[in-house]
Amino acid sequence: MPAMASSPSLAHPNDHNKHILRRQRWTAIRCSVRERTNETNYYELLGVSADSSAQEIKEAYRKLQKKYHPDIAGQEGHEYTLRLNEAYRVLMRDDQRKEYDTSMGGMRVRFGNYGPGLGYSSWKGPVRPQALFVDGNACIGCRECVHNASNTFTMDETLGRARVKVQYGDNDQKIQVSVESCPVNCIYWVEKEELEVLEYLMQPLPKEGYGVFGGGWEIPANVFMAAKAFTKQLKRQKQDTKYGTETVGETPAQAEARVTATMKIQREKFYGVWNWVKQVFGDR
Amino acid sequence: MAEPIYTVASDSETTGEEKTTSTFPEIAVGIDIGTSQCSIAVWNGSQVELLKNTRNQKIMRSYVTFKDETPSGGVSNELSHEYDMLSGAAIFNMKRLIGRVDTDPVVRASKSLPFLVQTLDIGVRPFVAALVNNVWRSTTPEEVLAIFIVELKVMAEYQLKRPIRNVVLTIPVSFSRFQLTRVERACAMAGLQVRLMPEPTAVALLYAQQQQQAVHEGMGSGSEKIALIFNMGAGYCDVAVSAVGGGVSQIRALAGSPIGGEDLLQNTMKYLLPNSESIFSHRGIDEIRRMGLLRVVTQDAIHKLSYQSSVQIDVNLGNGSKLRKVLSREEFEMVNSKVFEKCENLIKQCLHDARVGTEDLSDVVVVGGCSYIPKIRNLLMEISKKKALHEGIDPLEAAVSGAALEGAIASGIGDPFGSLDLLSIQVTPLAIGIRADGNSFIPIIPKNTTMPARKELVFTTVQDNQSEALIVVYEGEETRAEENHLLGYFKIIGIPPAPKGIPEITICMDIDSSNMLRVLAWATLPGGQHPATPYMEVKMPTVDDGHGWCAEALHGKYGATMELVTLRKKG
Repeated sequence: MPAMASSPSLAHPNDHNKHILRRQRWTAIRCSVRERTNETNYYELLGVSADSSAQEIKEAYRKLQKKYHPDIAGQEGHEYTLRLNEAYRVLMRDDQRKEYDTSMGGMRVRFGNYGPGLGYSSWKGPVRPQALFVDGNACIGCRECVHNASNTFTMDETLGRARVKVQYGDNDQKIQVSVESCPVNCIYWVEKEELEVLEYLMQPLPKEGYGVFGGGWEIPANVFMAAKAFTKQLKRQKQDTKYGTETVGETPAQAEARVTATMKIQREKFYGVWNWVKQVFGDR
Repeated sequence: MAEPIYTVASDSETTGEEKTTSTFPEIAVGIDIGTSQCSIAVWNGSQVELLKNTRNQKIMRSYVTFKDETPSGGVSNELSHEYDMLSGAAIFNMKRLIGRVDTDPVVRASKSLPFLVQTLDIGVRPFVAALVNNVWRSTTPEEVLAIFIVELKVMAEYQLKRPIRNVVLTIPVSFSRFQLTRVERACAMAGLQVRLMPEPTAVALLYAQQQQQAVHEGMGSGSEKIALIFNMGAGYCDVAVSAVGGGVSQIRALAGSPIGGEDLLQNTMKYLLPNSESIFSHRGIDEIRRMGLLRVVTQDAIHKLSYQSSVQIDVNLGNGSKLRKVLSREEFEMVNSKVFEKCENLIKQCLHDARVGTEDLSDVVVVGGCSYIPKIRNLLMEISKKKALHEGIDPLEAAVSGAALEGAIASGIGDPFGSLDLLSIQVTPLAIGIRADGNSFIPIIPKNTTMPARKELVFTTVQDNQSEALIVVYEGEETRAEENHLLGYFKIIGIPPAPKGIPEITICMDIDSSNMLRVLAWATLPGGQHPATPYMEVKMPTVDDGHGWCAEALHGKYGATMELVTLRKKG
């Protein structure tokens, strides 16, 4: 449906009218939800990292509202603002945010882009209780570990830091040397259960910019703290599913269903309008 | 396109370039029509400016007098004496009557006004008339409102030397959507496109601007502030809690009720002259005059009680009845204890709905004509546990100034100094839902939902092979459907034949940022990909009049044959 996103002029033929008061005009509820809606989570939508504070979320929300609120952006901002409001409503309530994080994070970690080459390590030989992890925030990119155990560690050239490529890719001695050789001591032995969460959190998450500012990628400042919080939520989720939970707001799955449902209507509606437009203007 | 009728002569307003492309952006003016006073303001390029009438007044009385052939309002007209307003020829307090039916207690309370408010108690609009040369001449609240608006518009056009087409008008929080359509109709009669803004949210926007300005000047910290806004005028009491930061006023909760200075006045009048209602029920010329006298004296006494602890009342009502009494502030507060109690409840409810504790409150802003009453100020300080109320906002000019700011923002004009880098994020003042589960009101968009909003709920049929369902849309907070405001109704048709409880009927409600409500409905069978019939999309409200008996008649005619119940999700 490429035509959908690229036809904002459909509802607003008079662009210069965009800023007059819109009360009287009747525009069909259009679909300006772009395809990416389905893949954008609330954090990405707000352009904040998963461990950001309520204050950061608030500030991001306000900045985005100032840009996309229909009072400022016109009717085009309607769908976007709806999602923004939904994201804000969920993330501002501790209980709902936790619930959301759990479902999102759980899905990500278990079904996410898991595999070598995407920041996650693979295992050589049997899975052992302990695993290696490089805190990328502390890593200075000295390549000492890669030099000592080249089958285990690798340099991430784009981020300028080392990471574990293969768990136990080299023999124990080589690994021991490389761990000790790290000048900033950023290579850790961690429980294998913690590993996937840590590696997931080490992934830079895209951060939405405001205009030319603030765009880019983001990684939680303290990955171990973030991982702790994250694991807690995972546990909570397990408990909740065991005892049943009373959901007040929408779960992401419900939100998704809602979005798809409304998209469906809008798509049909859009085709209606589109056909009409073609009939009227098509022959000119 | 033809040339616009007006051209902007002033070169200070817009640049030449803008003029050639279009007449927009045009800055919308802000209008506040209160129950007793009205004003108009505009963003003049650097700040909000209240416009003055030819008598150099910024705040004008909200009334229309039908003394001469053409009605004239308080903007252009000057009363020779205060009593003129109470002769029966002047219509006022229309903001309390607009869009209300004659069974409404607020309309009944208006029957003691000097002009005629006749009710037949059947749920239709009341009959309103002014006494002109011994004739009761009928009018409508919409007409009276339109006359004010036209007078304000003419005054502004003369001063700004440009046509006014767009306005932002402030309205009470408790107005139903039907009442909003009446206000819109009045604006349409005056030839204006209008955006409506709840009064306390306009005040909150002004507060946001002031905070932002303080940051620019290096005075404020720029951190988020939570403000409690209390606005009580002659007709309405409104409360809002707003989180303000970075020039954005984010309304957290709203609460409102049609109580105001008029109730204080009537209660006090009744206290001063207990049998006043029976004395004035005839509505002869004499009675009207005496009632007017009592009104003026009482009003004056209430004003004085804001500054002194007691007031001497001495008035000759004619016909041998004299009223001589010392009214103390304690008596005044005792007589009106119910009104103050109601105010207290509104404030507490609003704080509760906003999930804000008193310790989170940065400022308490009190505006409106009643903000001078010591009891009100004490009440707010007591509830908010603050030693002082916020200063720096003019109580009588706050709402109109906020409306003018919103007008400038919505017109899309930029400001080089960032003074207009503001935004007001609104919430729904009342819940909107449908009648289902028998006679229950099932909210779909709850109260205090951030706008724009879209929510949906799934319902199902109550009869086997039910092919049609009646969707009756209400607005309000009551659990029984008929106690809420009826907004409209429509039928969803062509529900696929199935046993009861199987078809899924989705009702989706969408409110855009200009507060337009659309209801979408469709029916599907479980597992079905596509709805069985075309979607229904209905703009609300659809009801024009006679709300009281509309729903009753529908129920009487169709009974339970077209009802719905909420679908319980399995698991």
